[in-house]
Amino acid sequence: MRLLNTTLVAALLMAANLPAQAATNEDVDSSFFPYKNGVPTQDGLNAGVVIDQSNVGQFKQVIDPAMFEFISQGWTKITVGETTSFDLHPNYIQATRDGLGKVKLGEKSGEIEGFIAGRPFPEEPSMDDPRAGEKLAWNYKYGYNWGDNAAIYPFYWKYKDMKSGKLERTIKFNFHFLNYMHRVNQEPLPEITPNPSKLYRAIYVQALEPFDVKDTQLLIHRYENDLKRDSAWLYLGFQRRVRRLASGQVTDAFLGSDVMIEDFEGYNGRINDMEWTFKGAKNILVPFYNHNALPNLSEEHKESDGYQFVEMGDKGDCFPQITWQLRKVYELENKPKDANHPISKRVHYIDAQTFTIPRTLTYDRKGDLWKSWQIGQAHPDHHLPKNKGTGVAIDDSFTMIDVQAMHCTTGQFKGQVDPSLNPARKFTVQNLRASGR
Amino acid sequence: MFLDSHKQQPGRTHPVIQATLLAAAIAACLSGGQALAYTSEDGTTQVNGFVENATYSRRNVGLSKMRNTVLIEGSKDYGEQGAFSNVSFVGAFRATYDGVYDLNDDEFGENAGGAINMQSVGGAGSTAWGQSDISTGVLGFGFDTTENPNEGMVNLGHALHDTDGGVGLGVPVRPCDVDSRGCIDDYLDFDESDLKYPEFNDRLDFLREAYLDATLPTESAATWNFRLGRQQVVWGRTDLFRVLDVINPVDYSRHNIYDELEDIRIPMWMATGEYRMGATETFDDLNMQFVWNFDKFRPNSLGQGGTPYAILDAGSFFRAMKNCWDNGCSVSNFAGGALSTDFPKHVIGIRDVHLPDWSLSNSQFGLKLEGDYQGVGFSLNALTYRSQLPSLRAVVDNADNPFTPEIESQSYDYLIAFDMYFPRVNLIGGSLDFYVDDIKSVFRVEAAYTDGEEFANTLRPELYSESDVFRYVIGWDRPTFIPFLNEKRAFLISAQLFGEYLVDHERETVNGIEAGNPNWEINHVGTLLLKGWYQNDRVSPQVIMAHDFKAHASVIAPSIDWLISDNLRLTVGANVKVGDGEQEFDDCRACNPFPPFTGAGEPGDTALRNLAGYEPLGRFRSGPIGMAQAEDEFQITLRYRF
Repeated sequence: MRLLNTTLVAALLMAANLPAQAATNEDVDSSFFPYKNGVPTQDGLNAGVVIDQSNVGQFKQVIDPAMFEFISQGWTKITVGETTSFDLHPNYIQATRDGLGKVKLGEKSGEIEGFIAGRPFPEEPSMDDPRAGEKLAWNYKYGYNWGDNAAIYPFYWKYKDMKSGKLERTIKFNFHFLNYMHRVNQEPLPEITPNPSKLYRAIYVQALEPFDVKDTQLLIHRYENDLKRDSAWLYLGFQRRVRRLASGQVTDAFLGSDVMIEDFEGYNGRINDMEWTFKGAKNILVPFYNHNALPNLSEEHKESDGYQFVEMGDKGDCFPQITWQLRKVYELENKPKDANHPISKRVHYIDAQTFTIPRTLTYDRKGDLWKSWQIGQAHPDHHLPKNKGTGVAIDDSFTMIDVQAMHCTTGQFKGQVDPSLNPARKFTVQNLRASGR
Repeated sequence: MFLDSHKQQPGRTHPVIQATLLAAAIAACLSGGQALAYTSEDGTTQVNGFVENATYSRRNVGLSKMRNTVLIEGSKDYGEQGAFSNVSFVGAFRATYDGVYDLNDDEFGENAGGAINMQSVGGAGSTAWGQSDISTGVLGFGFDTTENPNEGMVNLGHALHDTDGGVGLGVPVRPCDVDSRGCIDDYLDFDESDLKYPEFNDRLDFLREAYLDATLPTESAATWNFRLGRQQVVWGRTDLFRVLDVINPVDYSRHNIYDELEDIRIPMWMATGEYRMGATETFDDLNMQFVWNFDKFRPNSLGQGGTPYAILDAGSFFRAMKNCWDNGCSVSNFAGGALSTDFPKHVIGIRDVHLPDWSLSNSQFGLKLEGDYQGVGFSLNALTYRSQLPSLRAVVDNADNPFTPEIESQSYDYLIAFDMYFPRVNLIGGSLDFYVDDIKSVFRVEAAYTDGEEFANTLRPELYSESDVFRYVIGWDRPTFIPFLNEKRAFLISAQLFGEYLVDHERETVNGIEAGNPNWEINHVGTLLLKGWYQNDRVSPQVIMAHDFKAHASVIAPSIDWLISDNLRLTVGANVKVGDGEQEFDDCRACNPFPPFTGAGEPGDTALRNLAGYEPLGRFRSGPIGMAQAEDEFQITLRYRF
């Protein structure tokens, strides 16, 4: 009997680890062009409809729980926009096709085999697949989030008391992203060499204002081997020293904001650190929009090229004034394996077409809702001219709301897909020393 | 000589001009009551800064600091210029006015000090300065009290200890323009205006930074990066301790060892060249740095006798000794180890300071290879530099013997008459940092081996000896949740252990006293930081503790930092010392420099050694924490950034 059980378990595991042989070109088409044959619909939900306290009950099934609560409380409202396709770059899609049937999960969480580039698991996730959540996590990790590289240049973060609306702090950053591996669009392809430690990706952050944090810099190196812990360094201007960060520091409030380093882009950590559970696909409203078509853009921080940032408003000025689309999402739960992690779980709503994470709900150790994390995605063809045709869903606005502390951090982006802003030398420890003072 | 109240030294700016400059600087950055930063439209020019008031109060002393600072820093990017890219200029200007010299001048200004008595355990018990039991009329002893009166004096180490039968010296404590006694030209000779406005001097210390940066691309991905000008070059990975971070001298007179090194490094005119290779086939990052410090030598600023912060109280000792040489002095319990003694001038003390002149051979060179290999950051460092601390060499060749009527003007072994030197030191070292996932901790390691350093040594005829020194620091950082204090934000626990080993250490126990090198052969200092954050990091309490293991001395510094707005920060804290203070060591009263008058044997005969006291060498055993045991403080700092 024990032998039989062992055999069954082994068979199940093997089935889960099989190459994505079930994925076909049709799966790729469905994955990247989910709205080719029509967009999701919901009774009464049309472009231009405003969902507020008065009518939110009518749309409960297409609004995530936190947002539903916010609207019910009268804190904000949703203006519905037309659902549009956010086509990713053709090279990324082609790389996905090239990888069909070659990619599979390794035996342990955090292991993947046969992956070159593109979306590793383009097939529709199945509730019957015990490792479907993990596959979605890989699709996110190797997503075309910022393409091969990009910069948020500049990036304004504002800390606000949600009850009073008092603006407590404004920090101006530059963020830079660079993929060392699995590159599909910008030379060198597919990898920047030499790359002795097999870095997959790097994030470099530079604080510009106010002047008590000026020259603070953060560098994160993520390794191709997901089982290997990220390396992270912080340069503090007042010390003129680079300090290697302990991993625990990525779960702390970054420079006092409501955002952890681990929250960046939706989730910024190792796959192996979490247990991933696919909770199903659904159509809900998520913050996707055309930046240039937004009716109200901020008059503050105007750029010399005329670019205007997303306006914030509603309760405590904590809500981006944008439009939302009814889109297909995958609900994905991640639970930290580390019992000392400050959260009990995150629930991500991953956009099925772009594999960006526009909505995440974070729960504290007791299991109560702690934070609501929203990253607005702008279509690249309706943004800066340089972003047109890049096939990158542009992170364009965020709000992280601590519902327990009634506090929020908002973010206003100027996302630029521009290789000249992200040379590899910017992502070195030495650059922290050289750029600091 | 005593009252030379309008003394101006060459190159020093007149106080009125200094005050005007300071006022102008403040006015320049304050506009209609509002301080504003400036960033040009194209972002290539930026100016910002802060104004700050730091007010500290010391137990039993009152106001110890009322420092008002304005710092303005600016940068200008020039972009590509010829073959160079990223050409930029960075400048920083700092001006300080410390009101303590006006507001508490009884302790630290023109009215500081008073008349003192010297202990004489075998005689009158206590005698006034200049009226010792052994004084004028006894052989060649005694000095002119009109030149060297009993005014404006304190007993050396008075805040920490009584004389207790040991050696006692008197320290003139008023600024050098009020009382020039004991002031050491070009080293510790600060006028009142120098103390009030420390940046305005002939070394242009108001210019904290002024350097030009440029990058020279190469055909490979590597670049050459050059920086030329007045700057700080920071080596190492540890806080507080200076194992590798020794290129710039440090101003301990600002706040002993407790200010951020960023604020107390003394900027130097230097050139650095960095060859940044970036990632190679082996290393994730690799760089080579060359440093040439071509500035005229600067020693550490130790704090002058009579100022609130003087590390090891060394400045007071030096001033007392300089006065002894120049003017003569009273010394407690000296003759026979029991009688107060008035030494004439040119017998004991500090005769001269030999600051290295500017020359190519006196400039300082450094080399660093730094990189990252498989998640381990590393550096290899080499530096040849001048010791920033003085070595007191008893090599004076024109001392007099007060026991004989004629003036000999010759050298005497074991005589406590010194010249100060700053010997060349060669350093090799390295550093590491790495993360250990199993214990969620980052470790930082720094180590250095030097040769050329010199230490006091009462067993040597010159009263000093050279020793190689091995120093290291191991640092441990761990973010740790303490749920009952904060459920959602980890505390930073950071501990460091600093070790120092004098390889050529010499010490003997003779007749029950310790003689030789007063410094410990092996000693460790541990530090512990616990820091938390609340209210979105706008409120941050912390406590820093340090313990000197051999000195049995500790300091506890709790503080709370409140970021009131993006611009305004208030820090309230305390600095409390616990443990032992003074320590005894052979004070060389029995070194027998003038046999047969001072003893029957040969000079330095250890059989005669039987006298020890707190002064002057116990300070090297007490260390910076032990020597400041009487300096408990309450501190408030308000900084407005713009």
